[in-house]
Amino acid sequence: MIVLNDEIKKELINLAAEKNIFLEGNITKLIDCESNLDFQNYILQCISRDKENRRKRLDITKTIQQQNKELIEWKSHNEQLNKDLQFALEASEKAKQLAESDLDVLQKRTQYELVGSIVKVALWVICGVGAITSILFAITLLTDIENKTVESSWSNMFSILLTNSFSIVGTIMGVKYASDKKGRGRCKCDD
Amino acid sequence: MDMIDSILLVDDENLFHLVFEDACSLLDITLNLMAIDNADAAENHFANLVKENKPKPDCIFVDLNIIGSSFDGIELCRRINFVHGDGVVIGIISSSDDEQEQAKAVKAGAQFWIIKSDEIEPRLEEFVKDFEGYKERTAPFKVYR
Repeated sequence: MIVLNDEIKKELINLAAEKNIFLEGNITKLIDCESNLDFQNYILQCISRDKENRRKRLDITKTIQQQNKELIEWKSHNEQLNKDLQFALEASEKAKQLAESDLDVLQKRTQYELVGSIVKVALWVICGVGAITSILFAITLLTDIENKTVESSWSNMFSILLTNSFSIVGTIMGVKYASDKKGRGRCKCDD
Repeated sequence: MDMIDSILLVDDENLFHLVFEDACSLLDITLNLMAIDNADAAENHFANLVKENKPKPDCIFVDLNIIGSSFDGIELCRRINFVHGDGVVIGIISSSDDEQEQAKAVKAGAQFWIIKSDEIEPRLEEFVKDFEGYKERTAPFKVYR
């Protein structure tokens, strides 16, 4: 234990009374105060104030510790949320690309189906008209009816049908080529 | 109840140093507390005490995961117990309550395991009551929950 002389004890007591300055920390627990009642009270007051201050500091430190812990948890939670968000974004991007691709395929299929239908109808019309004129021509030939008009009509009809059929086929090929080129061009832009 | 002459705390969290210091002072556990935030530094400090024949701390509290160190608290326990130390009371102070880790700590020579939480004071009070048993190596390994 630390033993202080009476003069120092008196000075310490006066300092506390006049300026409210007290000894603090663990040193207060090492000072001998048995012989002097005033000094004993003073030391007890120092210890009590020190404990009060430590209790306050302990509470504040624990609060800060708790806040730090919560901040770390929040940070970790936010990082997880960001990761989830990133995954969701990537998934939606993939879904978007897939949907676009499906839509493109669907559009092309519809286009091809339409082209197919046009070709079928055109062929039926060509074949039908060709057959009808041919039958008429055959009847005129077989019945010896004057056949100049039917002959020229048949020949004109066949040349027109031939020209138109090539024109239809050409148009269809052109449309198909143009749509293929457009599709490829879009793919390049997407890349 | 007698105070513990000197305590060494090894924990990477500086805020916990303050909590531990204030708790020790409020509960009159010790007047001589030293805190180190790194396991390597703690091992060097202990090795120097042995080398220079200086008094060793009576009790060492070691955190389980000491961030910024090349080894963990259990390894520090092992080194102090089996490489540098003899008879010093040593244990873990951690927020973990993992039984496997506790079994490892026992093998490394830890005598107690204190769970760190907001209310550390009651556990420290209980620990101080058992301290003599740890010092005399009669008390079994105990987890303070």
